[in-house]
Amino acid sequence: MITITIDGKAVTVPEGTTILEAAQQTGIWIPTLCHHESLTPYGGCRLCAVEVAGDNGTQIVSACTFAAVNGLVVETATERVLNIRKFIIELLLAEAPQAKVLQDMAQALGVVQPQRFTPRNELCIACGQCVRACREIVGVSAVDFANRGYERIAAAPFFQRSEDCIGCGTCVAVCPTGAITMRDIAEGEKATVPDGETLEGPARIMDNWKVGFKMKRCTKCGEPFAPEFQLEQISKKVSLPDDFFDVCRQCRM
Amino acid sequence: MKGSTSKRLAKLQKEGLTTLFPESTKIMVGSASCGIAAGADAVLQAITAEVKKKKMDAVVQKVGCIGLCYLEPLVDIIIPGRPRLTYGNVTPEKAKELVAAAKKGKVLEGALGKITAEPFLIEGTARDYNGTAGGVDDVPLYAELPFYRKQNRIALRNCGFIDPENITEYIAKGGYQSLASVLEKSSPGRIASDVERAGLRGRGGAGFPTGRKWKICLSARSDEKYLICNADEGDPGAYMDRSILEGDPHAVIEGMLIGGYAIGATRGFIYVRDEYPLAIERLEKALEQVREHGLVGEKILGSSFNFDITISRGAGAFVCGEETALIKSIEGDCGEPRQRPPFPAESGLWGKPTIINNVETLATVPVIAAKGAKWFSSIGTDGSKGSKVFSLVGNVNNIGLVEVPMGTTLRDIIFDIGGGIPNNRAFKAVQTGGPSGGCIPESLIDLPVDYDALTKSGSIMGSGGLIVMDEKTCMVDVAKYFLEFLESESCGKCTPCRVGVKRMREILTDICEGKAELEDLTRLEDMAGLINDSALCALGRTAPNPVLSTLKYFKDEYLAHILLKKCPAGVCKDLITFSVDKKTCIGCGACKKACPADAVTGEKKKAHKINTKKCIKCGACREVCPVSAVLT
Ligand SMILES: Cc1cc2nc3c(=O)[nH]c(=O)nc-3n(C[C@H](O)[C@H](O)[C@H](O)COP(=O)(O)O)c2cc1C
Repeated sequence: MITITIDGKAVTVPEGTTILEAAQQTGIWIPTLCHHESLTPYGGCRLCAVEVAGDNGTQIVSACTFAAVNGLVVETATERVLNIRKFIIELLLAEAPQAKVLQDMAQALGVVQPQRFTPRNELCIACGQCVRACREIVGVSAVDFANRGYERIAAAPFFQRSEDCIGCGTCVAVCPTGAITMRDIAEGEKATVPDGETLEGPARIMDNWKVGFKMKRCTKCGEPFAPEFQLEQISKKVSLPDDFFDVCRQCRM
Repeated sequence: MKGSTSKRLAKLQKEGLTTLFPESTKIMVGSASCGIAAGADAVLQAITAEVKKKKMDAVVQKVGCIGLCYLEPLVDIIIPGRPRLTYGNVTPEKAKELVAAAKKGKVLEGALGKITAEPFLIEGTARDYNGTAGGVDDVPLYAELPFYRKQNRIALRNCGFIDPENITEYIAKGGYQSLASVLEKSSPGRIASDVERAGLRGRGGAGFPTGRKWKICLSARSDEKYLICNADEGDPGAYMDRSILEGDPHAVIEGMLIGGYAIGATRGFIYVRDEYPLAIERLEKALEQVREHGLVGEKILGSSFNFDITISRGAGAFVCGEETALIKSIEGDCGEPRQRPPFPAESGLWGKPTIINNVETLATVPVIAAKGAKWFSSIGTDGSKGSKVFSLVGNVNNIGLVEVPMGTTLRDIIFDIGGGIPNNRAFKAVQTGGPSGGCIPESLIDLPVDYDALTKSGSIMGSGGLIVMDEKTCMVDVAKYFLEFLESESCGKCTPCRVGVKRMREILTDICEGKAELEDLTRLEDMAGLINDSALCALGRTAPNPVLSTLKYFKDEYLAHILLKKCPAGVCKDLITFSVDKKTCIGCGACKKACPADAVTGEKKKAHKINTKKCIKCGACREVCPVSAVLT
């Protein structure tokens, strides 16, 4: 165990704990955008900036990626830190002014919508949660970043129809800004996959990854419950009876 | 040195001397990328053909770049009994004449310089070319040419002198002797200490003391450690490392072997950009040769040191020069930086302790090992020892590669070595340190160039690019140019760099287009500070530097753009209109001919006029006007 000091409070945590985790344990709030507790720390958005004491004065680091060492002294709410957080939110607000998470964060940090920059209206803020979730949780790596610099955006390879997406919706669940859409089309309705085919319901469309799926119906209750492709892919990976996925979860229980 | 090892090296040394100093005539063609781009291949072919045709007994060789890039293709010729002579701007025809004259034992006029004795830096000797036959008294000595007088070539010691594809010539000049004696007489800790005491600081940008870095890695416990040579060199206009790799690859390999020994590594990697095909080719050949002679692999030179070297090609992204991104790239991942700590010296390539060193740093190491810490630290300034290679480019007469002792002033580099500013224009600023460096104004021209002085001036040493700018350069435009570069080279991982740098660049664009307000200057400064503080890697953190340093020294120019809507240097198109000064115009018609938009009218010998409606502000008229009558 190691002991570190956050905002004057001593905290004892196991070695390897990040500053963010230690702060959370102590009830100290550090805002985050690209962080998710189930995913590898990324350090991209820089919103979790904190000030740590080092050899030559203090230094700004991202709390989510910085592993605490014994005796570390951390400040999470200095003027320097707060200015950085405001700046990050100002920059991102001009990217995605309509994102609720950014509006709320702006309010919490006392940021007003910056006037200097032309709004971009691109919801994807390149936080990479979908990319990591798809790789680390779902295990299919159907999406990744495309382009560099300002044009960086989460996308299926070459902006084409994703070959690997199984329509599970994990990316939708982790996306903080609502940049990823998943549409479930009911029986009797029709909808078109971006740059792709028109599907008849029941179907699911992942617009960002340009892919659509026919939905499997439960043989017991008749309700559509999962994309057929997803069930095929899962069956390949796990050894379950052939008819395991014929019924939905509710009916199985 | 163990008997067998020293015998082996001595044998190769002897072999190398036979081609370094042949009995016959020797002709060398500068065949680094700079020479080849200027036509060195055709010159070499012409020489080879002519030598064959004349049935001459001569050694014809490719050598690396001697630094005078603006005079390429360069041909050096040693006729027995005469000093070595260098000819510049050689055409295939001229090359034939050179051969014909050499056949008769004569020298052709027009040599740029002569060398009577070739320096052997490692041994601390010089070997003369037996140039007793006269006839070249009017040719200046190399060492006295303004371009060379103030140089001190340590990293570039062999460039232009040896055949980079022949290991025996490298060995003849003292190569691999340092390695042999380090392996035999020194311990890893001792050589690391020697390099630390020498005061060698990393030449790749950050200037971290090399020996200290090695010690950190040496003390890390691990079954495997790695040494990586950083040859990503992505700064626009910089080609120091390329030139070393093309002109003296073995110097880098020997430096890697010594560094690998010092940190306890078993494997080395050379991370080199794909855009350097010639450097890669020469490195591959060099690695084949060291393998053949037991200089890499197991039990090197009979010691217990095992070390192998692999080339790893990068796709040439600027950010891949950053240590953590470079490591990711070698691992086969996308080259994106991660936060440090952990520093690579503790946890680097595949999680093992890893040292990354720059090409020039490594090429310097064998010299330190041979000549000692004291010798090296006697060169340079208090905080910066040794010499540094600069690529001198931009608005300067002598464009080329120069290596000067630390502490040489900018004035010496630009005006003495560089020969000053072309076209009778005034010097305005010099940009140092690569894209995220800064611009230093005329008032600081006597600044001694070292790590600390440059940092204090608001710029950085960086890897050694020096871009000279004359009075016709707009400093706001310059800042915008570098930000555009960094914007396009940002990987996009972190917000301040991905979005912040772009937004700063937008403000600069507005300033150049006359659309900015005074407040934007404070905004730029604030953003610069915040990006510097919060970006993930050094690319982002230093990206605002070009703006900060130009704001510091050239604020007037920013103000003129914003308040007067004028670009004093006449560069920003939206803020200038072209006109002809009636009084000065001599009516020669050159502008009329040059104008691609038919915007110039006027009769011969009468003052011309520019139709501003048709004018596309390309500046062609201003370029060609012999009397500077085109105003902006
Ligand atoms: C964006 C960026 C690009 C860099 N490019 C290079 C490069 O091309 N070559 C290099 O040697 N160092 C480069 N560096 C510096 C390296 O990260 C590292 O400090 C250096 O290779 C260490 O070697 P040295 O100690 O011998 O200088 C770069 C750094 C950054 C932040």
